[in-house]
Amino acid sequence: MTYLLHQNILQQAERAPHHVAFRCGREQYTYGELAHKMQQLTAALQDQGVERGDRVGIFLHRCIETALAIYGILHTGAVYVPIDPSLPEERVRFLIQDCDIQILISHPSQARRLRGIVEGEEKLLAIIGLEKNWTIPTIGWEAVWQYLPAAAPRQLETDLAYILYTSGSTGLPKGVMHTHYSGLCYARLTAQLWELQPTDIIGNHAPIFFDISTLGYFTGPFVGATTIISSDAHVMLPTSLAKLIEQEEVTIWYSVPLALIQILQSGTLPQLDWSALRWLIYAGEPFPPGQLRALMELIPNTRVSNAYGPTETNQCTYYHLPTPPLEDTPVPIGYLWDNTEMLILNDEDGQVSTGEMGELLIRSGTMMKGYWNNPERTQQSFYQHNSASGLRHTFYRTGDLVQLDEHGLLHLLGRKDRQIKTRGYRVELDEVEVAILTHPQVKEVAVFANVSGKDESKVLVAAISWEAELPIPELKTFLRKKLPVYAIPVEWINYPELPRTPNGKIDRKLLREVALYK
Amino acid sequence: MDIKDTLIQFIQNDLIDDDQPISSNEDLLTTGLIDSVRVMQLVNFVGETFTIEIAPEDMIIDNFISVDAISAYVASKKS
Repeated sequence: MTYLLHQNILQQAERAPHHVAFRCGREQYTYGELAHKMQQLTAALQDQGVERGDRVGIFLHRCIETALAIYGILHTGAVYVPIDPSLPEERVRFLIQDCDIQILISHPSQARRLRGIVEGEEKLLAIIGLEKNWTIPTIGWEAVWQYLPAAAPRQLETDLAYILYTSGSTGLPKGVMHTHYSGLCYARLTAQLWELQPTDIIGNHAPIFFDISTLGYFTGPFVGATTIISSDAHVMLPTSLAKLIEQEEVTIWYSVPLALIQILQSGTLPQLDWSALRWLIYAGEPFPPGQLRALMELIPNTRVSNAYGPTETNQCTYYHLPTPPLEDTPVPIGYLWDNTEMLILNDEDGQVSTGEMGELLIRSGTMMKGYWNNPERTQQSFYQHNSASGLRHTFYRTGDLVQLDEHGLLHLLGRKDRQIKTRGYRVELDEVEVAILTHPQVKEVAVFANVSGKDESKVLVAAISWEAELPIPELKTFLRKKLPVYAIPVEWINYPELPRTPNGKIDRKLLREVALYK
Repeated sequence: MDIKDTLIQFIQNDLIDDDQPISSNEDLLTTGLIDSVRVMQLVNFVGETFTIEIAPEDMIIDNFISVDAISAYVASKKS
């Protein structure tokens, strides 16, 4: 009986030790090799004082060592915390402090970034994965291979396994806590949903700090398949990424839509052979129907699924597209999968009637335990429901607005925080943005709500960049023909260009913060 | 200035936020040294500076993985 994530590696090592578990570029681990190395890493971690329940940071780019770091930490009874190496130093420090991380697993190529972090950070005790003359001990991989394999401590499935930080639209990042139990629930459900086999080759695109990586990193070993870890180079060059899928004969691909849209736009897909690809799964964002249609027409023998779920629940719904999208309406998020139930609630936390829009709440085996070190946010995000038996059931508030149609299909309508109440009226912020963008002199706009005044009422604020600047009163006159008066932003802030996040999205959080300080 | 020097100077001054010099055979892409936004800036720089048209089929790892690789690619397009 498997109840811990790393038991999958040990079991596959016995069943098929020479089968490739993970490959990245020219480097790979078979299940036998990974089982052995993860036990050696356990010995090295224990030598550094790592105990059951400790949080160990993984400071790695996309590379083969990510698989070893994850399973080595899990096998030691500790909790892995992936840290995006491209984060600004102070954000890295926040994660290290918030989680009380004393050990990092990293790689020589990260030396540039680590140096600054190590110098200013007293909490860190050691780094495994590179050798430097720094103020704290550094243990290279060669030294790790000198250790004898160590046994795992006694653990329960409900013990913490990993913490993923999400940024959210307001405040500091929150650490989503997942257990071996929630990780394995996910592995079982995905293995069943897409009928994964040991012969499958799973294409992984996501870095390990995004939960989309759990298909390749958890479900792969659960069934004994091979996971191909796309390198950062592949992710940046879509032509190379498309070639990788052909070369490795990927059978299951899972990524955000952007990766596939970039491949489509490179125009190189028609010359490639993706015939091994039996499922293409996307998640994280809606896939524009026109582009999805264009992609599906190029790969008619591949089935396509939309997977939906916040990091707090990993995944909760799926939709297998029966055909390429017939219209340009958004693809449904589909049906709840097993071991999951939902509530759709209105603003007063009452259940909506069928077909009515409301907030989606999820209770499932794959849901998080809570936010690390943040009992207030955890409590705010959970909803206690009185079940028929009288027991209270905990649901997670996704903050997403959905609608259940007459066929039992769920449709994603938007974020709850993109729909606000101002002066007693309900306003869809996205609609306001669309209206403003219809003016030819507007280049970009982001609309959000800030609280204002003693009564804490919400006012609409617009951050705007111009092709050719127009006085705001004139823009408002234009908007009065398109929007109700209460939906026209009250405050306007000019920007030469709207600031962007590392993902290339408009940095709405920064815009709100700037507006608040004005 | 030869192709490699031009490239190293651009990467050092405009793309990487670091004093440590990069070598001509250093891996620019696999370890996230240069991110996706900067990769496009690099590709555009190469196209404009050496007056070559870089087709999507040529935007592959082999051609951009290092200063040496870019230099070889530029030379092949010029000949």
